[in-house]
Amino acid sequence: MSVCADAYTPRDTRNLRIFTIWCLSSAVMFVGVTFLIRKDIIPHGPLAWSLAIANFIVAFLAARSYLVFLRGADELLRRIQLEGLALGFGAGAVFMLSYRIFERLGAPKLDSAHPYVVMAIFWAIGQYIGTRRYGMGGER
Amino acid sequence: MINRLRELRTARGWSQGELAQRLGVSRQTVNAIETEKYDPSLPLAFNIAELFTLAIEDIFRPNGSGAAPVAARPPDRGFID
Repeated sequence: MSVCADAYTPRDTRNLRIFTIWCLSSAVMFVGVTFLIRKDIIPHGPLAWSLAIANFIVAFLAARSYLVFLRGADELLRRIQLEGLALGFGAGAVFMLSYRIFERLGAPKLDSAHPYVVMAIFWAIGQYIGTRRYGMGGER
Repeated sequence: MINRLRELRTARGWSQGELAQRLGVSRQTVNAIETEKYDPSLPLAFNIAELFTLAIEDIFRPNGSGAAPVAARPPDRGFID
């Protein structure tokens, strides 16, 4: 039995699979729409707006599938996920507020998307810490 | 919280995975409860008690088992008292 099978109930596995599919769809959509609009392959008009709205809807559905996963998750898994989210949110907020001072001192200006990268990295770190804290060992 | 989950489980010859399946949680959760790294929610504690046909307090005890009952404790003091 793998580590994943130990940490997830069958429902968690199913919900996580759905979330992963939505995330991948959202990522592909985001990259594709950004490429098409940035390279002026499609003119700025109703079609471009439709694609931007479609991208928003897919991203929203990905977020919703995570909420479904979290609500239905095994209680320890939910705690680990929430601790990870808390760490990610906190790190992102601290980074966003603190970096402004560094920018005033001459540090390179960052894109508005960068705090989200910090959030995602610390979310993953938080999940790793939580998994380690509550232990993965024991008898099968 | 101290618990007797491992003792009760092994007495029935169940693996952690089997117990997890019966409770509808992950094996990681059962392991974390047994090693006292995680205190279960009240609904899960009730499910555990029901599964072993015992009262919750027969399975789970607070860390300091000699803790006074709530009624016997002195009233909480205010923040600025």
